[in-house]
Amino acid sequence: MSANNDNTRDNRAEYQQDTVMAHEYDGIQEFDNRLPNWWMWIMWGSIVFALGYWLVFHTLSLKPLSVAKFETVMQKAQEEQLARAAAQGVDNNFLVMMSQTASKVTEGREIFVKHCVACHLDQGQGLVGPNLTDGVWVHGCEPMAMLKTVIDGVPAKGMPAWQNQLGPSRVQAVVAYVMTIRNTNVPGKAPEGQPCLF
Amino acid sequence: MEATNTQMKTVVYDDAIVRAFSTITVVWGVVAFLLGVIVAAQLSFWQANFGLEWLSFGRLRPLHTNAAIFAFVGNGMFAGIYYSTQRLLKVRMASDLLSWANFWGWQLVIVCAAISYPLGLTQGKEYAELIWPIDLLVVVVWVVFAVNFFWTLAIRNEKNLYVAIWFYISTIVTIAVLYIVNNLQLPTSLTHSYPIFGGVQDALVQWWYGHNAVAFFLTTPPLGLMYYFMVKAAERPVYSYRLSVVHFWSLIFLYIWAGPHHLLYTALPDWAQTLGMVFSIMLWAPSWGGMLNGLLTLRGSWDKLRTDPVIKFFVVAVTFYGMSTFEGPLLSIKSVSALGHYTDWIIGHVHGGALGWNSFMTFGILYWLVPRLYGTKLYSTKLAELHFWVGTIGILMYVVSMWVSGVSQGLFWRALDAEGFLKYPDFIEGLSNSTAMYHTRLLGGVLFFLGSFLLVYNLLMTARQGKPVTVSVQVPARRPAADRESAWQLLTSAPMMFMMGLIVLSIWFGAAGSMLSPVLLALLIVISVAMIISYGLQQKRWGHWYGLIERNALVFTLLALLAILVGGAVEIIPTVMASNKVPLQITEQMIAADPALAETAKWVQKPYSPLELAGRDIYVREGCYLCHSQMIRPFRHEVLRYGEYSRMEESLLDHPFQWGSKRTGLDLARVGGKYDNLWHYLHLMDPRQTSPASNMPTYKHFKTATVDAAVITHRMAVQVKLGVPYTDEDLALAGQRYASQAELITDDLAAKSVTLAPNSEMTAVIAYLQRLGRGPQPLEPAPPAPIPAAAPVTIAPETTEAAPATPVAAGN
Repeated sequence: MSANNDNTRDNRAEYQQDTVMAHEYDGIQEFDNRLPNWWMWIMWGSIVFALGYWLVFHTLSLKPLSVAKFETVMQKAQEEQLARAAAQGVDNNFLVMMSQTASKVTEGREIFVKHCVACHLDQGQGLVGPNLTDGVWVHGCEPMAMLKTVIDGVPAKGMPAWQNQLGPSRVQAVVAYVMTIRNTNVPGKAPEGQPCLF
Repeated sequence: MEATNTQMKTVVYDDAIVRAFSTITVVWGVVAFLLGVIVAAQLSFWQANFGLEWLSFGRLRPLHTNAAIFAFVGNGMFAGIYYSTQRLLKVRMASDLLSWANFWGWQLVIVCAAISYPLGLTQGKEYAELIWPIDLLVVVVWVVFAVNFFWTLAIRNEKNLYVAIWFYISTIVTIAVLYIVNNLQLPTSLTHSYPIFGGVQDALVQWWYGHNAVAFFLTTPPLGLMYYFMVKAAERPVYSYRLSVVHFWSLIFLYIWAGPHHLLYTALPDWAQTLGMVFSIMLWAPSWGGMLNGLLTLRGSWDKLRTDPVIKFFVVAVTFYGMSTFEGPLLSIKSVSALGHYTDWIIGHVHGGALGWNSFMTFGILYWLVPRLYGTKLYSTKLAELHFWVGTIGILMYVVSMWVSGVSQGLFWRALDAEGFLKYPDFIEGLSNSTAMYHTRLLGGVLFFLGSFLLVYNLLMTARQGKPVTVSVQVPARRPAADRESAWQLLTSAPMMFMMGLIVLSIWFGAAGSMLSPVLLALLIVISVAMIISYGLQQKRWGHWYGLIERNALVFTLLALLAILVGGAVEIIPTVMASNKVPLQITEQMIAADPALAETAKWVQKPYSPLELAGRDIYVREGCYLCHSQMIRPFRHEVLRYGEYSRMEESLLDHPFQWGSKRTGLDLARVGGKYDNLWHYLHLMDPRQTSPASNMPTYKHFKTATVDAAVITHRMAVQVKLGVPYTDEDLALAGQRYASQAELITDDLAAKSVTLAPNSEMTAVIAYLQRLGRGPQPLEPAPPAPIPAAAPVTIAPETTEAAPATPVAAGN
């Protein structure tokens, strides 16, 4: 270890590993070793990446930024759903069939327990939302009407719209389950609405 | 004395101040860890606030973070800076009075924080929650510290400034700039104020501050301390001076730009998000430069790792620093942020830094320093070893559990089923899924907390077995002469011109369009190459130039200030200007003139009603933003779960912004209208009534606490000064509107057999929540419908009163 002064520290020819510099601070000495190459690669690499990223995404707009990308994703999903809905053809009969299928009703019951009991209670006897087990209905008891109520909700009365959260097949399943508890008349919230004619 | 050398004089170091700061560091450390354990326990067990609003998560969490950052790390930083600065400059601190004013002032700030946070006095901005009178106190204390430090620099007996001092200088100037700008606010009372920035501006300024509080309070001071204490403990020369130069300047210049990585995929303009991301990635190398210089300094003294607990703490601290500064850039990549943001991963990330880097660094310093302050040896190496292992295991349990829980939350939220809809529609399932990890985290935190008692005992016994010592040193009676080069000559020299050119070109490159940019990019590269060649050709000149800078404290400080101002200015000024251009009222004529405004008009926010504003202030007071975001990102899964993604125009009038940074609970940006008033009432009284697995605290005190509408009217008047377009009529009718809107809610609840006072805080909070994501809500009852609707009007709402179970009793 030989000391050198800082005027020669940049001289490549005289560079020696682990050369102690002239200065000393409270007993602390310093080497002046070269920066590791791999570290220099990270440094320069990240700078080049940054310039390139800016060029691609902003200057030249070669790739979409977040909102543009989001819109592509949403459009693709929308098209897929349309295709599926066309194949399924949901109507009253389809929902009645579903309410007669045990596995779908079980699935509907599970969804009901998770999402609906806060307002309709465990048996569907009603708390914030109406009693679903009596014979009268506020927004119609026809399966497609019930489906619409679940899909769009009735925000004014506190019923959320479930379509986006649950997706179509779960919404159908929960309607199928609710169809099975109609007219079971569990004691609960007083009846509201009009008699079911379906 | 004078017999030995007439040209020498004696400098007596002030170590009493270092002893005071070291002692209080340990005390606040234990407090900060205890608070951490309590808030972690509250996330595991919601009952852990003992039903007291003063101890609820939203109020204690700021106390925990502030205690850890400003009380524990802050006092440790002061202890280390006061000790090392005197020795590195061979001079006693300039003024004992200022040193002690710094000490007592800082402790007063901490005590004020500890009182004000549990009382719900807060600004509602993370790590900047202190209310304005305490902010002023912080500024005064910081100025005291700065004056004392720079005065000491001026009277130093050492010509050159060592790398540790560089880091201290950058800390002092940057924290001053950040703290003042982020706390610009307009008081409404002695304990309440609104920040002058709102919405996207407030978000950007807050995270410019928040991120750089991490940079210049939790990173640069410990790095400076590493260059003194770790090198002292290793008894080896620093690995590389030139690495110190390169990583110091690149670190402070790049760090300041990285703030927007906290706002990726939010309503912040895309260009600012991109800057946040790419500058974070460029920070990787400078950060690792610090780690390398630390670890490589230990070459040749690795044997000490076996025997010396101080070295153990330092090595693990620096390793965690390296890990966190790799994880940070990683999390800043947009697609990784999409997964990790709002989750526990971020909590794990910051604790890797706070526990691994900051705490272990501070522990190492204390174990090294305290024996020297008391002229003795450490009482027990074994206990320090035990502390090391208990602490390390605690950190690992903490960090790993948060990784697991965070990544699962991210995957859980985004999972879609075969039909392209949410696989896990119920948010609470994700939370329940994390329970085991929350318990593990709590256990890790408890271990770390218990470990700190070993520190307390060991240091106490060390101090008892020694006694305070006074250290003095002989220095030349005459100070080293100043260099001939003036500050102006240094600032206008070739290297400076090169660097200014690079910065100006880079900014121009960003602003220029696709035609000019490639040219500028080429020019940038040419200048960089020219710099390298001229450096090579001139052999020694640039090194010589830097040697001069290093001796001129004024020039050094100015350059550091310049380096940290560039990034902030480039990001903040255009964002403020652009968002100020968004019209707050858009008329038909305006749309006719500029059709693009039609889309803006859809989102432009209307001011909150008096009742909603009251509710919002309570929301801020309770720290709801610490668990609930109000910022829906443009992802399919977020839009399915929460509704339309959030637009910049929607929160421009929000002082402070409440976008949030963590989702322990759901996003609330569009919660308005999703549930009815009764649901909100039940949920706030006891969240488990509506969501059985919730870990949210109860807010029963909302029911009894009341709001004075006159206070809200005054606050509205203050908001007018901030640019919120309340009209004179709005202010004149505020009291009346407050009452009528409140009655709408209480009447609705009364119809559902819940009695609530219209002037209760509960009413205000419900009104605010119902407003979120929707336009203005009715302020008074609708006039009786002129024509009876054909729809079923036969429903008799009175019948609800006959419902068997009262809703309040329904919660088990």
